[in-house]
Amino acid sequence: MEKSESAKIDIPESSRERKGKAPLLGSPVQYARKGGYKRGVAIFDLILRVSAAAAALGATVGMGTAEQTLPFFTQFFQFQASYDDLPTFSFFVIGMAIVCAYLVLSIPFSVVCIARPLAIAPRLLLIILDTVALTLATSAAGASAAIVYLAHNGNSGANWLAICQQFGDFCQKTSGSVVASFAAVVLLIFLVLLSALALRKH
Amino acid sequence: MKGLEIGGHSGKGPANRGAAVVDFFLRVIGIIATLGSAIAMGTTNETLPFFTQFIRFRAKYNDLPTFTFFVVANSVVAAYLVLSLGLSIFHIMKSRAQGSRIALIFFDAGMLALLTAGASAAAAIVYLAHKGNTRANWFAICQQFNSFCERISGSLIGSFGGILIFVLLILLSAVTLARR
Repeated sequence: MEKSESAKIDIPESSRERKGKAPLLGSPVQYARKGGYKRGVAIFDLILRVSAAAAALGATVGMGTAEQTLPFFTQFFQFQASYDDLPTFSFFVIGMAIVCAYLVLSIPFSVVCIARPLAIAPRLLLIILDTVALTLATSAAGASAAIVYLAHNGNSGANWLAICQQFGDFCQKTSGSVVASFAAVVLLIFLVLLSALALRKH
Repeated sequence: MKGLEIGGHSGKGPANRGAAVVDFFLRVIGIIATLGSAIAMGTTNETLPFFTQFIRFRAKYNDLPTFTFFVVANSVVAAYLVLSLGLSIFHIMKSRAQGSRIALIFFDAGMLALLTAGASAAAAIVYLAHKGNTRANWFAICQQFNSFCERISGSLIGSFGGILIFVLLILLSAVTLARR
């Protein structure tokens, strides 16, 4: 551009003109292309979240209703087994209930992320809370898995008898609940990965 | 215009580099914690001086499969942390890396799940060893094996510290990704 001696500078004006001609956010096609894959990731996130909530709910209800009364009576064994006989199972029910409630309450945040694919704050909040939920769910699942394993196999070294031989239905229900909670754990890991994928910038 | 852009970008650069350094140190502490837990649990061996017909007179970590899983899980996590130190140093030098950060978050989440599963399973068995369970006729073995019990309870601390460190690591990586 020409520099005259009257100190009139042309460069800022031409860039202002350039800015005036361009639309504010870029073309709609460009915006959709930027947020396109993030919207897909957010939709997949919502699907996984609902599945994880269902798995956690199934685990909670399955363990909470695990109760069996044997029809006979012996002098060595208790003839009734309920989930609150073992404190670990009580922790499992409480922990999975919290995780299920969190997953259900985080569905609106996930919907917000679908509507606004480029927003960072809800994504960041989701990834942090998902990590905490993952820790709680895995803790409950791991502890109960240890007790279920013990109930199936017993331990001769500690003289712990395998109670599953007496309480078949109770054992089946608790084992099924532990499997469902591990499914929720795997889904939560993928939820954390999806949130991390959606956080990247281009 | 270009000068303003670069100025705005480097405002976040030093903060991300600081976060990467904190990440590195957290990983080193995590290695010490998980390795300490694995060793503390793996070297348990208590032999009682007396002998009764009901109770075994020797307790070792691999008498209980859950403790074997605990030692294996902690060792695997410690090895993973050593391997991820290299990636952490790479992030200190190149703070704009995105893809490797996402991979690191994914593997950190997987290792967090493994560590938490091992630590909480061992915690359930340790609780049972301390209290027993009258309904299932499970006897509290801690009453006989005192030093074994102390050792297995203490080894849980390092593992739970490792869990906290992993949560912080994922948090740091996520915040660094978002602030880029």
